[in-house]
Amino acid sequence: MFNLPKLKIEYLVGSGKINQTTLQPFDKNICDFLNEFSNKIILSKFSIKFPDLIGLAFWCRNKNLLSLKSQFYSKDLRFGKGLVFHITPSNVPTNFVYSLIFGLLAGNTNLVKVPSKNFFQIEIICKTIKEILKKKKYRIIKQMITIIRYNDQEINLTELISEKVDLRVIWGGDKTINKIKLMPLKPSATDITFADRYSLSCINSKKILNLNSIQLNKLTSAFYNDTYLMDQNACSSPQTIIWLGDSKTSNKAKNIFWKSLNQKLKNKYNLPDIAIVDKLNQLCLDITNNKKYFKNKVFSNYLHTVEVKNLDKEIHLLKGKWGYFYESNLKSLDQVSKVITKKVQTITYFGYTKSELSNFVINNKILGVDRIVPIGFALDISLNWDGYNTINHMSRVIEIN
Amino acid sequence: MKLQKQKSFYKEIFELTIHHFNKSKIYRKILNNFNFNKNKKYSIERLPFIPVRFFKHIDLKSIEDKDVFKILKSSGTSGQQSKIFLNTQNAIKQRIVLKELFERYVNKERLPMFILGQNPKNNGYSYDAKTAAILGFSMFGKNHQYFIDENNEENIESFLSQIKLKNKVLMFGFTSEVYSFFSKTLKNYKKKIDLSNVTLLHGGGWKKLEETKISNYEFKKNLRTNFNIKKIINYYGLVEQIGSIFFECPKCNLFICSKYSDIIIRDKDFNVLTNKKGMVQLLSLLPTSYPGHNILTEDIGEVVSNVNCEKKHKEKMFRIFGRIEKSEIRGCSNV
Repeated sequence: MFNLPKLKIEYLVGSGKINQTTLQPFDKNICDFLNEFSNKIILSKFSIKFPDLIGLAFWCRNKNLLSLKSQFYSKDLRFGKGLVFHITPSNVPTNFVYSLIFGLLAGNTNLVKVPSKNFFQIEIICKTIKEILKKKKYRIIKQMITIIRYNDQEINLTELISEKVDLRVIWGGDKTINKIKLMPLKPSATDITFADRYSLSCINSKKILNLNSIQLNKLTSAFYNDTYLMDQNACSSPQTIIWLGDSKTSNKAKNIFWKSLNQKLKNKYNLPDIAIVDKLNQLCLDITNNKKYFKNKVFSNYLHTVEVKNLDKEIHLLKGKWGYFYESNLKSLDQVSKVITKKVQTITYFGYTKSELSNFVINNKILGVDRIVPIGFALDISLNWDGYNTINHMSRVIEIN
Repeated sequence: MKLQKQKSFYKEIFELTIHHFNKSKIYRKILNNFNFNKNKKYSIERLPFIPVRFFKHIDLKSIEDKDVFKILKSSGTSGQQSKIFLNTQNAIKQRIVLKELFERYVNKERLPMFILGQNPKNNGYSYDAKTAAILGFSMFGKNHQYFIDENNEENIESFLSQIKLKNKVLMFGFTSEVYSFFSKTLKNYKKKIDLSNVTLLHGGGWKKLEETKISNYEFKKNLRTNFNIKKIINYYGLVEQIGSIFFECPKCNLFICSKYSDIIIRDKDFNVLTNKKGMVQLLSLLPTSYPGHNILTEDIGEVVSNVNCEKKHKEKMFRIFGRIEKSEIRGCSNV
């Protein structure tokens, strides 16, 4: 047990008293709690305004938890590692709660530092959690959740907490992570880091030409959800689209694809003025400064595409947001392996089978990539994240012979 | 009222586009990639424009390096600065046009000038926007007095007593400094002050005033009722288009588009808007040494077509609402 200083810390959930409890992964009480949380969020009047809250609620409803449990079942006797300190990123409002849920499902006591920015979603989530924790049946879980906020400048607080915990989970840019990693942990404690990553899409051009309009519409809607929902700025949103096939087919395919996407943007996406200026500016910069630049197409202010040539391992420098996509033609999936580095997190795909993709990974001894998922699933949070099996990484095995 | 610009303006702006297309390699590259064809006819709304922010990233010149006479820099309150390269010809043109506009829209005679600031130290080559504005407007005044002296001291007594001695004076300052002068410095000043002999010219961003939530209208009303200032003129302009700035009509408080400039308001699809808020695109006939003649700003404005003003303006009139909102981006990079 230890006490957090009262000064300079805002307690959104819990107090400064940290009592450690550990449970087995997917503890029934935890799952009940999460399901109740899910229901409360769905019923809250705010959820309509924030699609990320709905996504969250769906993710931790009982049915999904059960399916996760069956996926992550292990024969080992496992318990949570102990006390986990989560340092969560400053501009994805709901990220902190996913990190917390990972920690809870693995059976840990959690101390979560949320970003200093006052996101409305954070307030709603914390209020809801607090409300549910009042129930007697959750008195154990009450000890397992503390959510705090303090100014990033208060490095000594991060230092002080780091010394006490068994596991530190750091989300953030490379700089933030490196800075925090310098702060010592207990000898037995470890870090899990979720750094800045890069994602791309691989599309089988020939398969696009075979789609009827309903199928095409479905595909581009799925692509919309992967990108525009997060202003194309989530780590797992694709930045570069690789068209696979002969170039004639690819050129046809991309034209069909982008046109279909462009048609739905005006009614669906709330494009801020600053994005329009940003994208025009980036286009001018690409034209004058980017050595890979080949040509561009402005479908509308909602959708810019920039064709690049000679893709290489510097692909992660090609970053657009708000609907600014880089694209390139390649002959086959095997050629994609040349551009994949450890920076690459997610490949979303269309027109390949699972076995084609696993052959591609195995045959080319791919260096990077943590997820290969169909277009439409880029933002889905899985218990496997950035290459970690989070449940396993956040729990310990007890061997009894 | 006619909102179409005169034919001669169109002809000149088109020629300027061709001039920069021929002289600036970077500009040509961009226009080529925008599918601009110099042999084709374009309506004025369809001529290509570049974002003003681009000047913060790239040095854009339509002259040889050896002909650079002056470099103007934006005030750069938020990060990188724009760099504007002038040759002598362009610098002279700016002064001539500014003089013409000033005499037409502000005052004909040279008045004793009181500047709410400090005498800018200038090295004659590289200027920031503030220095450029003070130096630019100083041409139209005489016996310049500065509120802040070389030792950074505010000389309120002598400044005010000098103003009182004169028949008619011109006072100049940046909006935020004018605001703090009247609302802070003079608020604490004991004596009642009559400044009815002052013509007040102010410009530059309202950015610093955004927290105070004071509007242009309230600002003016305050100065009128408390200090009896009759003529207050706001101006709007960017360092990228110095010279062809926009003065406000002291009666209807709208900005006036002179014959050297044009404004186009655009929606999210870049359609042209009238009597509706949108993004501000500015055109100017002045920039010859750098391709700043047709730019998309980061301001929000509105062209007003039915102006009910005793001045019976023939020019295009508009208002500015401020900067585009720095929207909060979603996503997880660069945390």
